[in-house]
Amino acid sequence: MNTGTHTSPTTPARASTAATVATTLGEVRIAIGADIVWCPDLTAPVTGVVAADLMSDVLVDSRPGYVLVTGLANVQVIRTATIADLAGVVFARGKTIPPDVLALAREARIPVFRCQRSLFETAGRLYAVVNGRTGNADGWPPA
Amino acid sequence: MTDTEFVRAYDVVGADFTNAGRASTSIKETLKNMGLASTLVRRVAIASYEAEMNMVMHARRGTMTLKVTPGDVTIDVQDEGPGIADIALAMQEGYSTATPEMREMGFGAGMGLPNIKRNTDALIITSDIQRGTHLVMRVHVS
Repeated sequence: MNTGTHTSPTTPARASTAATVATTLGEVRIAIGADIVWCPDLTAPVTGVVAADLMSDVLVDSRPGYVLVTGLANVQVIRTATIADLAGVVFARGKTIPPDVLALAREARIPVFRCQRSLFETAGRLYAVVNGRTGNADGWPPA
Repeated sequence: MTDTEFVRAYDVVGADFTNAGRASTSIKETLKNMGLASTLVRRVAIASYEAEMNMVMHARRGTMTLKVTPGDVTIDVQDEGPGIADIALAMQEGYSTATPEMREMGFGAGMGLPNIKRNTDALIITSDIQRGTHLVMRVHVS
């Protein structure tokens, strides 16, 4: 029998903080020239951006209201966005979005966009838009 | 919320990547409907999701039991699987025994247990090799 006990501090080291809202899903879409795959409200606020293909990294680095930019296109992306209270998902590199992924996004009400640009360029353009506007893109890790 | 303890169990099936995360999504929805703070709900949901993905990736089957009292939210995770040979090693960020298939799903980067620890106030792990692993994850309500 292996036993390990781990106790974390009462206050998590990476507690979420409220960010100044200055960006919307519509502005994100325009900045990267993305197609709307499914989005009920382009005026919904965006508090920051996280770019990753590893969903555990997204769970660590994101905050509520972030947009996820990823090259991964499976249902776990939508489940991760749901769990982490993300504002939406941008599938970069013109990824084909499987029907089950889109169906889950609609069910979970997670806005979905598709961008033909590379993950690097998509993230770079969004950094330029978000940097200095939400206060969450000035450094890593986010505050 | 009343003083009564709320208990609900969720079954998880190993290698069922299609439904992986469904239990945690349901747990999150349940806590949200109870009116608990969104920050707390998010922490529990992330810890729960990482634990669920660990079971789907490594175990044959498992059960997640959500318990809510006025003071704590606890998720008891019990699986039938290979167990963890070295828990201290598994707690290190980046250590992973995941296969390429698991990584294609976006998991298996060795962040699961560290991420659970980060999002909980208390975490107890016990494991029997070739039998299974038991996690008790607790987050204080206030």
